[in-house]
Amino acid sequence: MPWYKSVYDWLERRIQFEGPVKEAVLHPVPKSTASWWYVFGSASLVLLILQVVTGILLGLVYMPSAAHAWISLDVLNHDLPLGWFLRAMHGWGSNFMVAVVLIHMAQVFLFGAYKFPRELTWIVGIFMLLMTLGMAFTGQVLRFDQDAYWGLGIGASIMGRVPVIGGQLVHFMLGGPIINGSTLTRFFTLHVFVIPGTLLALTGLHVWMVLKLGINEWPMPGRIVRRETYVQEYNELAHKDGIPFVPGAVWKDLFFSAAILLAVAVCAAVFGPFGPKGVPDPTIISTVPKPDFFFLWIYTVLSFLPPELETPFLLIVPPIAIAALIGLPFVAGIGEKSWWRRPVAVFSVMFLAICWAVFTQLGTYTPWSPQMNAWSGAVIPAKFLENRTPLERQGANVFQEKQCRNCHAVGGLGGQRGPALDEVATRLTEDQMIRQVLLGGGNMPAYGSALSPAETSALVRYLETLHPHYQPAAADASRQVVGQGGGVPADSTVQQGGGQTAVH
Amino acid sequence: MDEKLPPPSPEEQEQRLETERVTRRSFLMNVGIALNAAVAIAIATPVVGYLLGPVLRRKDYLQWISLGETAEFTPGETRLVTFRDPFANSWDGDTANIPAYVRCSEPGKFTVFAINCAHLGCPVRWFSESQLFMCPCHGGVYYADGSRASGPPERGLFTYELKVEGGKLMINAGQMPTLQNRASAAPCPGSTPAPNESALVKRIEPCPGTKASTIG
Amino acid sequence: MRPNHIVVTFLGMALPLLAGCDLPGRPKPGPEVPRPEAVTSFDTLYNENCAGCHGASGQNGSATNLANPKYQALVDDASLRDVIAHGEKGTLMPAFDIRSGGSLTGAQIEVLISGMRAHWGKGNVLAGQNPPPYKATHPGDVSKGQAVYTAACARCHGVTAQHPGPAGSILDGSFLALINEQTVRTTILAGRPDIGEPDWQGHIPGRPMTDDEVTDVSAWLIAQKPAIPGQPYPNAKPMSEHPAEARPAAVKRPTGD
Repeated sequence: MPWYKSVYDWLERRIQFEGPVKEAVLHPVPKSTASWWYVFGSASLVLLILQVVTGILLGLVYMPSAAHAWISLDVLNHDLPLGWFLRAMHGWGSNFMVAVVLIHMAQVFLFGAYKFPRELTWIVGIFMLLMTLGMAFTGQVLRFDQDAYWGLGIGASIMGRVPVIGGQLVHFMLGGPIINGSTLTRFFTLHVFVIPGTLLALTGLHVWMVLKLGINEWPMPGRIVRRETYVQEYNELAHKDGIPFVPGAVWKDLFFSAAILLAVAVCAAVFGPFGPKGVPDPTIISTVPKPDFFFLWIYTVLSFLPPELETPFLLIVPPIAIAALIGLPFVAGIGEKSWWRRPVAVFSVMFLAICWAVFTQLGTYTPWSPQMNAWSGAVIPAKFLENRTPLERQGANVFQEKQCRNCHAVGGLGGQRGPALDEVATRLTEDQMIRQVLLGGGNMPAYGSALSPAETSALVRYLETLHPHYQPAAADASRQVVGQGGGVPADSTVQQGGGQTAVH
Repeated sequence: MDEKLPPPSPEEQEQRLETERVTRRSFLMNVGIALNAAVAIAIATPVVGYLLGPVLRRKDYLQWISLGETAEFTPGETRLVTFRDPFANSWDGDTANIPAYVRCSEPGKFTVFAINCAHLGCPVRWFSESQLFMCPCHGGVYYADGSRASGPPERGLFTYELKVEGGKLMINAGQMPTLQNRASAAPCPGSTPAPNESALVKRIEPCPGTKASTIG
Repeated sequence: MRPNHIVVTFLGMALPLLAGCDLPGRPKPGPEVPRPEAVTSFDTLYNENCAGCHGASGQNGSATNLANPKYQALVDDASLRDVIAHGEKGTLMPAFDIRSGGSLTGAQIEVLISGMRAHWGKGNVLAGQNPPPYKATHPGDVSKGQAVYTAACARCHGVTAQHPGPAGSILDGSFLALINEQTVRTTILAGRPDIGEPDWQGHIPGRPMTDDEVTDVSAWLIAQKPAIPGQPYPNAKPMSEHPAEARPAAVKRPTGD
């Protein structure tokens, strides 16, 4: 007997793992579950292990102190051999994990795997999703830069909207009156002990239930789930037409997990670590805070909610969403599993996916945010300044100096909060422009108190030149009438029915 | 393989337990459980108190802080100042430096605005040229007097309670202003709405400042 | 696969990783986002703070043509520093010094000045041409200004505001309210090559303008600023010249309220 066999036998006699492990890995599963669609759960587990390992390694260096966290990240990035690569693996691993978990969840939903008897597996899975998102958010806080600081500010402001106890909640969340070192240690504890501990425990429970209840069979249209007969039907399927989990189904899991790990490593090597961006000094106000990729959609939603709806939305919708997910297997715990017979389910997933994609896409370029440096940095293209009079050039100066550019683009440069003004003269007459500038409206501030009459005149004169050469500026017909000494000219646009646009 | 479901019904479990329930051993076990529970509660109480420490310590974290001589602030100007967080830990580093805007509208008349946008707390930036505060996050804009100009905020900028003492401008500050931490910012003059006003009007009323038009 | 193959494959994959010094993801030296006061690159500072009005690479903007070598030769460091730090009173040039409400430190302003000199200054291109000084040395004589205007400016800018020349009027009240004497002086002296305006030597046919002429016409122009500038319709006829508006008798005004 070789030495390692005798060592193994010695250990096995004492630990006695072989029986349960063999039972677990060799248990028969329906042949249909040996599919590439069933690899996302195991991939999530592998990514979780990757995050634990890389997280422990980063923990060797990371310093959870408000004064030093940023510096320790900088040391990891620049001074320790491959420290940046570890940070990149952890960061990209987190993005991949959220993505794979969401795909896993969509697959489970579309395959009806949450139905009887796997309701609790689904519910535990929901809490695992919340934990994963919690890890992503707290991880973003630990990368203690300006985005983390102001991200905490956003979180605290949302907490502050809770009626009655909002103020105390903010102090509880921040660990004190304001974002500082106590906040960081709180989130460090959450990210390193509380949430991963819970997540690992839930993962054990989740996997245990998958082993005990069997992997969901491939849904077939017409194969209805009934509480009375399902277990028996499933066991028949697994035993008569089944294969052992190992190696029948597991090889695809292994291949996919390896591919995912490789993808994380490639992303880490090519794109590098996330941040840290600027030092977390709140006195640096020339910052444009932005959440990480998987929270961009929330950022978008928050910018589009009307003011009076915002607090109710923030406080009511998340609990409703979680309750709906938890209630799902109780409402739809039996019946059809196949997506061919569940149009509402399919369209819900598509709808949510499209909403998420659109919101995220908007979040990448934030058209609702003023561009803080556009007024002094965004160049007016030369063609918008050609052949302008001295007054109109001063108007362009006013346009820049009064920060109009922060919200209004010209020539594709500048903020996108307000409409682009490349052809504004075709839309507004001079008087309408003066009114809009002075009184604001339509989500534009009133500039009446910030502009002198001369500045207003110059600005409007300049804006009046912004029209394409083939289309004249909009003109007020009544101005023409006054100009003609009170008489309507024979060929005036009024008589031609041309509305306010006079064609010269 | 045995069928794993359903587990023994509650009735069956109840029956099995019933036979053992009244024995002396099970009584002692119950006493043991009760002892553990009592000790657990005894231990948990200080833990809960410890966790809630930041909330229980005091309701509002406010302290009078000097922002410097009043003469340093030019009338008609709004200036960024920074002060040290009065409740700072020694390991807070730069995060204990808190910015704020001091507006001196006329000699001796001051308003001190918190840096945090009333929407979601992002740092607003002052543009003296257009006399506007703009927020980089969701595009909240405020006028020079702090009242809401446009964007998602439902009220004007938060202001600190202030006083002038011995020629120094003092503010009552220390906690991050949010919609509920009212005391962080002094109640805005004129912002307490009449009780019969509709909720919506109350929400978007500019604060502080007057309802008068800003067109001058 | 034999064990030594596995080892070779593993090493083959791990070695580039270990030697990961030149992987594309490796962070560049220095912080990703430096503190704002630590930015000392002229290009970054210029493009974020100046390009909006003065144009990309200092020309074709709405404000002064900074890339004009004659401008760079005329203006001294102290004046540039003062204008950048404190703005130009009476014009739209804002103050950029952090102590004046801007966002630039003194060191960054120095970077801007030396960067402009290095990029756009071409040595003393005006050597031997004896230009008038950048700043007026004495107040201008308004009474002499109009004659200078007619001789030097009217050709392109028109005789009156109501009759602008091909280059547009500079007698418009709103325009005059947004500039000061130094704006006029700088524009006359250095010209604006990017939009075809000549320097002080090209305004009066046949000879350069003298220091006094530049000073006088600047003072005269600013003196033309109306008391209440910026009326939206400066060229419209006054109401007294309009035909009386006859209110139709049929229109009845609601009484009360």
